[in-house]
Amino acid sequence: MSSVTQIAPTPVSPMVPRRIGRRRRVRKLGWNLLGLAVLFVMVFPVYWMIATAFKPGQKILSYTPQWFPTNPTLSNFRDAVDQPFFWNAVKNSLIVVSSVVALSVVLAFLASLALAKFHFYGRKAFIVLILGVQMVPLAALIIPLYILMSRLGQVDKLTGVIAMYLTFVLPFTVWTMRGFLLGIPKELEEAAMVDGATRFGAFVRVLLPLVGPGLVATSIFAFIQAWNEFIIAYVFLHTPAKQTLMVWLASFTTLRGTDWGPLMAGATLCALPVVVFFLLVQRRIAFGLTAGAVRG
Amino acid sequence: MAAIELVHLSKVYGNDFTAVRDLNLDVAEGEFMVLVGPSGCGKTTALRMIAGLEEITSGEIRIEGKVVNDLAPRDRDIAMVFQNYALYPHKNVYENLAFGLRMRKVPKAEQKRRVEEIARILGLGDMLQRRPAQLSGGQRQRVAMGRAIVREPKAFLMDEPLSNLDAKLRVQMRAEIARIQQTLKVTTVYVTHDQVEAMTMGHRVAVMRDGELQQVDTPQRLYDAPANLFVASFVGSPPMNLFEAVVEGDNGRLVCRIGDTELELPADVSSARPLLANYAGRRVAIGIRPEDVREASGWDGARLRGRILLVESLGSEQLVHIEIAATPLERSDLVDTTAQPPGPSLGVDDLERAVTLLGRFDRHLLLSPGEAVEVAIDPRLLHFFDLETGVAIPTVDVPVVAPVAS
Repeated sequence: MSSVTQIAPTPVSPMVPRRIGRRRRVRKLGWNLLGLAVLFVMVFPVYWMIATAFKPGQKILSYTPQWFPTNPTLSNFRDAVDQPFFWNAVKNSLIVVSSVVALSVVLAFLASLALAKFHFYGRKAFIVLILGVQMVPLAALIIPLYILMSRLGQVDKLTGVIAMYLTFVLPFTVWTMRGFLLGIPKELEEAAMVDGATRFGAFVRVLLPLVGPGLVATSIFAFIQAWNEFIIAYVFLHTPAKQTLMVWLASFTTLRGTDWGPLMAGATLCALPVVVFFLLVQRRIAFGLTAGAVRG
Repeated sequence: MAAIELVHLSKVYGNDFTAVRDLNLDVAEGEFMVLVGPSGCGKTTALRMIAGLEEITSGEIRIEGKVVNDLAPRDRDIAMVFQNYALYPHKNVYENLAFGLRMRKVPKAEQKRRVEEIARILGLGDMLQRRPAQLSGGQRQRVAMGRAIVREPKAFLMDEPLSNLDAKLRVQMRAEIARIQQTLKVTTVYVTHDQVEAMTMGHRVAVMRDGELQQVDTPQRLYDAPANLFVASFVGSPPMNLFEAVVEGDNGRLVCRIGDTELELPADVSSARPLLANYAGRRVAIGIRPEDVREASGWDGARLRGRILLVESLGSEQLVHIEIAATPLERSDLVDTTAQPPGPSLGVDDLERAVTLLGRFDRHLLLSPGEAVEVAIDPRLLHFFDLETGVAIPTVDVPVVAPVAS
């Protein structure tokens, strides 16, 4: 009897795990394929933009698509940079973006500090409003905002565009920063205050260093928004010398057609700063600074 | 070092929730005062008011005789240890310890000397460059203590500093904190919900409940003479056995009836509590500590008959749950409900109303569940409480506690 009970399970047991293993492997393969497909969809347009930028003019619109630029050339980049107002656009974009990033980070830190740490009448309504404002489509606001701005004499001025960008960057950044601030235990400031810091000192010496990743995340958001924005800049800035890079890019499309080579070269140049900025700051986001503050 | 006085201190949140009600408490210079009570009793709120982290609704707080109601935390010269330590995560241990000194503009060399001395005392010497995230729970706790000590403040405020440690480390740190406090002789207010911590650490213990102070006294006095049913049930582990009884007068002698057992109260018991005679013919609440419940062999007084429900062996002794015939306390609002031992009745038919009596017995007694047992209760060791108010029926003097049945 005992020998039977011992032998019986042995041929069965190794088969069961193997079958489960195979099923799991197939499922994993499926997910991996899906991941690759998504990656391809995301990456291909970027690749195509860069590849096109390096192709000489006659190869770009050939009927047999050329997957790799066989004779890469920089002539498209030269054409793009030589376009009128390129350097004006670069300067304008830099002014707009740096102002929006700096202003939005400072204002969002202070506003979210108030929302996260102080109790005041209308706080809840304010928070709901911040969230609600983000639901309004931008296109619906352009005409009223244009009228408002023109009465203030801010049309065709970079300051007007900066103010406009802040209106839609700030709600998001305040919201995000508030989340980061709420994640910091209130005992930390209290400890600082008992230790001899003023309330403001506790903010600066304890909260500000800890909210670093939040500041980085919001500044990236503000940077991308302000850098990539097209419609507002297109509507508000008429003078070519005052246009930002995105509006300048659109100038490659004329009534007579689109000049694809220089356009793609210009687009590649425009995409570079965002990538560089992200690479510079991304390490700071991934690293959660609050670890170890409280029990673990 | 300074005395702390709380005078008619109250805290009301919004318009209706009273967290602390009319708290009067004097903490003497150099005293270790423990505020203890179940969660939500207002002990932490009281501590935070002393620290200046919570606004005072009414009343006064004085430190060194000076009213500090309107002083910012930084101007009160107190140090606080938080429940979750609240170490600055972006600073290393040295910077954490030195932060308070830096804020107070202590010269750099002096900062270094004091921080290094404290680190040496607390055994943190070779961890000064680490961040809090790289420390174990016990080490973080030490840094939090060190941050308070290094400032040499007028008083320490500690908000459940041990509750995040595991049981073994807690016992160790408990002794360490008490030892540090004794060496430094700094006035300390310590908040905890753990009555064992309160009893072992405090010079005096203040028991709070629902924002009201119940009793302030030395741990031993709290244990021996609880002022009311709540303190009686809160202090002591396992808690005091509490149930109803009837006091009857019989020709000038008082008798206490538990279930249908009559317990004659000797003359010294009734003379120690002159008011007890007024309760003749009325129901009272009586209490007895588990260690005062004895197995009745060799006892010639009245015995309570019961049945053993459960025997818990603790190694050095055993906790025995005994079901006896008595009326349970119905005013559960007067006792610490978390401390009441669960009373799963075995449905013993002959016991109409049953109470589970907890006894702390010698480990050599052989007892098993289901067995009938007789329990001796020395009337001198009973605690008497008014059933309506929960207040202890006062004694003229502390009764001499003598061992029973030995």
